[in-house]
Amino acid sequence: MEFITMIINGLSIGGTYAMIALGYTMVYGIAKMLNFAHGDIIMVGGYTIVLFFPISPILGIIASVIFCVTVGIVVEKTAYKPLRGASPLAVLITAIGVSKLLQSAAQIFIGSESKGVTVNLGEIRMGEIKINVLTLITIACSAAVMVALTLFVKYTKTGRAMVAVSEDRGAAQLMGINVNFIIMITFIIGSALAAVAGVFLVFKIQDVGTTFGAMPGIKAFAAAVIGGIGSIPGAMVGGLVLGFIEAVCGMVPALSPYTDAIEFAILIIVLLVKPTGFLGKKRREKV
Amino acid sequence: MKKSFKSFAKHYMNYAVIAAVMLIFTILALATPMKASTSLLFQKITVAVIMAVSLSLVVGFLGELSLGHAGFMSIGAYLGGKIALVIIEGGDLEASNILVFVLALVIGAACAALCGFIVGFAALRLRGDYLAIVTLAFGEIVRVIFTNTSSESFGGALGLKSPSFSMKKTYILVIIGFVLILFTLFVIQNLLRSKAGRAITAIRDNEIAAKATGINVTKHKLMVFVISAAFAGVAGVLFSYANSPIKADTFDFNYSIEILVMVVLGGMGSINGSIISATLITILNDKLTVYLSGDNAVFKDLFYALILILIIIYNNAPALKGFREKYNLRNLVNKIIKPKHDPSAVRDDAARWDVVPTKIEMNEVLSTDLVIDKVGRGDDSADIRERGGNK
Amino acid sequence: MKKTIMKIMCLVLVVVMATLCFAACGNEVNYAENNTTIKIGVSGPLSGGAAMYGIAVQNSAQLAIDEINAAGGINGVMLELVAKDDKHDPTQVSTTYTALYEGGCQLFLGTVTTAPGLQFKQYALEDGIFYLTPSASGDDISSKDGGFQMCFADSNQGTASAQYFNTNYAGKKVGIFYKADDDYSVGIKNNFVANLNSSFGTPVEASFTGDASQFDSQIALLKTCDVIFMPIYYTPASQFMRQGATDIKADAIYFGCDGFDGIDAVDGFDIDTISQEVSYLSHFDSTSTTGPAADYINAYKTKYPNAPLNQFGAAAYDCVYAMVDALKASGEEITATMSAQDFAEILMDQFAGDFVFHGVTGECVNGEKSTISWNDDGTVNKKAVKYVVKQKS
Repeated sequence: MEFITMIINGLSIGGTYAMIALGYTMVYGIAKMLNFAHGDIIMVGGYTIVLFFPISPILGIIASVIFCVTVGIVVEKTAYKPLRGASPLAVLITAIGVSKLLQSAAQIFIGSESKGVTVNLGEIRMGEIKINVLTLITIACSAAVMVALTLFVKYTKTGRAMVAVSEDRGAAQLMGINVNFIIMITFIIGSALAAVAGVFLVFKIQDVGTTFGAMPGIKAFAAAVIGGIGSIPGAMVGGLVLGFIEAVCGMVPALSPYTDAIEFAILIIVLLVKPTGFLGKKRREKV
Repeated sequence: MKKSFKSFAKHYMNYAVIAAVMLIFTILALATPMKASTSLLFQKITVAVIMAVSLSLVVGFLGELSLGHAGFMSIGAYLGGKIALVIIEGGDLEASNILVFVLALVIGAACAALCGFIVGFAALRLRGDYLAIVTLAFGEIVRVIFTNTSSESFGGALGLKSPSFSMKKTYILVIIGFVLILFTLFVIQNLLRSKAGRAITAIRDNEIAAKATGINVTKHKLMVFVISAAFAGVAGVLFSYANSPIKADTFDFNYSIEILVMVVLGGMGSINGSIISATLITILNDKLTVYLSGDNAVFKDLFYALILILIIIYNNAPALKGFREKYNLRNLVNKIIKPKHDPSAVRDDAARWDVVPTKIEMNEVLSTDLVIDKVGRGDDSADIRERGGNK
Repeated sequence: MKKTIMKIMCLVLVVVMATLCFAACGNEVNYAENNTTIKIGVSGPLSGGAAMYGIAVQNSAQLAIDEINAAGGINGVMLELVAKDDKHDPTQVSTTYTALYEGGCQLFLGTVTTAPGLQFKQYALEDGIFYLTPSASGDDISSKDGGFQMCFADSNQGTASAQYFNTNYAGKKVGIFYKADDDYSVGIKNNFVANLNSSFGTPVEASFTGDASQFDSQIALLKTCDVIFMPIYYTPASQFMRQGATDIKADAIYFGCDGFDGIDAVDGFDIDTISQEVSYLSHFDSTSTTGPAADYINAYKTKYPNAPLNQFGAAAYDCVYAMVDALKASGEEITATMSAQDFAEILMDQFAGDFVFHGVTGECVNGEKSTISWNDDGTVNKKAVKYVVKQKS
């Protein structure tokens, strides 16, 4: 009984993390950079849906995807593109700067008071188990997104170009692939996924503040790293692993205050034992 | 004699300046009743400077990004504060007992150093982004653990009611803070000027090449993490004596970032830059808290974020390379101060860690040696090497 | 060269030794000597999650000051409000406190919230100033040496709530949802648990820390409870209620403390969408339509139509009036250039003495102003009212 609830919770949390982690992992795989501001794209999406929700929920979702994609492109073009080819450390620090920039900009435009929205989609009863409809939608949607993304990468021209760029950027360019365009596409997909994840998080938490995306962002990054950064199935695996850890910790009162610590400890252990994550590829370092 | 003075000024200028500031502060504090706001501000500055200098060692010289520096500070603050509290309560001593404070410093630093050692082990296996995320995770773990301790042990989520100097005695804390800054500088600068310092920058510039030349990477990486963590612990003890209660939430990811901003704005790989920017940012933060209120206070964060991004792009964008080399502050200063071509002038490597500032351009060394009318040539070329290692 | 360093080092050491040997010899400075008005200082959260309280306190204090000034001030001396933003963060208090004190403030409303208030108290006692806080309700906030409260202290809130539970909710399953890293929340919770009848058994406890906004595990723990005692501020409370709307028993009662005030005004939270009852014990009913409370509410709404209105503001309004009344009642001559310590002396005599104030907080019977007095230790004496925000539906 509790076990089933736990599995469903784990799938729902894990699905959300996986969606965010996909954005991280694709950007890392293709642009070779850690987009620290990814979590704040979620926050942007969250605010958009809260603003548009009273008008129309569907419009809100579309608006938040469009807005997040716009922000993603702007950030990529202004902050990350000039640094292409610079040291990874410089890019990482810039990404942290962008993250702070988005947070403070949100606070200036919207205010520090958190914004709420009330969503109640009801629940399904199966015997003694109560399942929130939202939870089911989250699971279904994240599964659909993952399948779609896998198919996209495998069977479309752009998708295969993305794989090529992540394998070897120079060679891909020589084969006539527009690397800048591919990187932009990656950011678009990543931001769109972040927007969708943001929408689900807002529906679940029903409240958005300026640091709303920071923690899910960092955890999704941990998920991406655990699964093996750069690998799409890895992000899903990592997301689910974290989702289940969170669900289990939530069930055990003694563990629940330590949820974050446990997740991060597992991240460190995975990194130390298998630095490339579960499904990551090993890269030999050359001089 | 003139020569040695020049060399002295170059190597020990920061000690002299800090000692002078300390002296002036001490005289003012003793001679006139100093405003509490002034001494509290100085106290914050001393903590920030020690944090920035110690982080600068990891980020600027080892070239690894640490996003959990506040975690080390937290360890120092909590363990040092707790030890001091136990001794003070056990022995019924004054909270401002200096011996207890020194003991707390030693223990806080030692515990933080131990954690630095553990994180350093992670640094042996991981580099770059991965290591950054491990340090971030470390900081968060420390925060969560201290937040969930019982109220008897570390005060739990309510914070540890650490022993504190009264407001009117904060100036003593400031003076101790200055002494600790001098000590931090002494240790870190001497480390960097030694053989180990060269090895550390060599690892930053190319780890595999460094390994190939026989540098013990393990030893040096661990050394950097341990020393940096120890000084963060020192800053933590200082902090715990100035604030009561101390809460684990203070030492969160955002605080780590704030210190990182100080280091980056000051110029990566420049100790003096870190000191200056830590001082300025702390003063600015304090003043803005007084004058900006409500949501306007966020403009400060917006401003920092923008500056951070612009500085990084300016210093690192491949497209701006030519521009950068043509127009930069150091060239401008050199033009004003030293109008003549001076081969010993160091290139603008201060804010860059992706180039190899340790390298000495051969033709310049040669040209220095070929200047016949200079006295003490050997000394001069040694200077170049040394300067190269530190800037 | 080495000798020079050694010399400098020795000098430094000597200076340090000398400093440590001499005690501080500062004499008190009157920062208010150039004032033209009496400055009233307050440090509160004007931004961030608790801004609703800080802004209400700021506005209400301003309202009271404007009214007093319009009526001629204190024997012709005008008042002025200085508010600083501490973001509900204790580490900001060193800045806000010194900015207030050194900026020439003479009367202090202390801090709006408890956590920063503990640091404020430390500084205030050292400078020998007096503060009357509207809403920092921690037990350690009040002090017989100059710290007075307008709101109930936590122990009293926890005790009063427990007594209410003992008489009204006997036999129900009690749960507690509190914020483990907040002095305010833990203080109330501990007193509540200590005073709860043993017939309730052990209440179910669930807690959170920091800015947590996902309460799945806490809801799972509390979903069988009939009455949930929530000594927390309204923001997390509203999040909890929304997320638990379906899981928590539909006829459960959310019973809060004064931090609940304003929960029906949280942005995006329509309190009617949840079925549970929401109520709390308080000293002010912000829906009053008659009596002194309503007069204050009307005046506030006229002046600040869009600002948050809650009992924190009402308490601040009372605080300003209480201090001014006490100054008038003392019979001393009041000038704008008196130091904060001079004011503290006068106010201490009054507040620790027999001073009785009639204000808008507390129970106002028959349209009369309530009667408020203070104990020697700084805690307040007045009657509480149970305030039902929303009946169960």
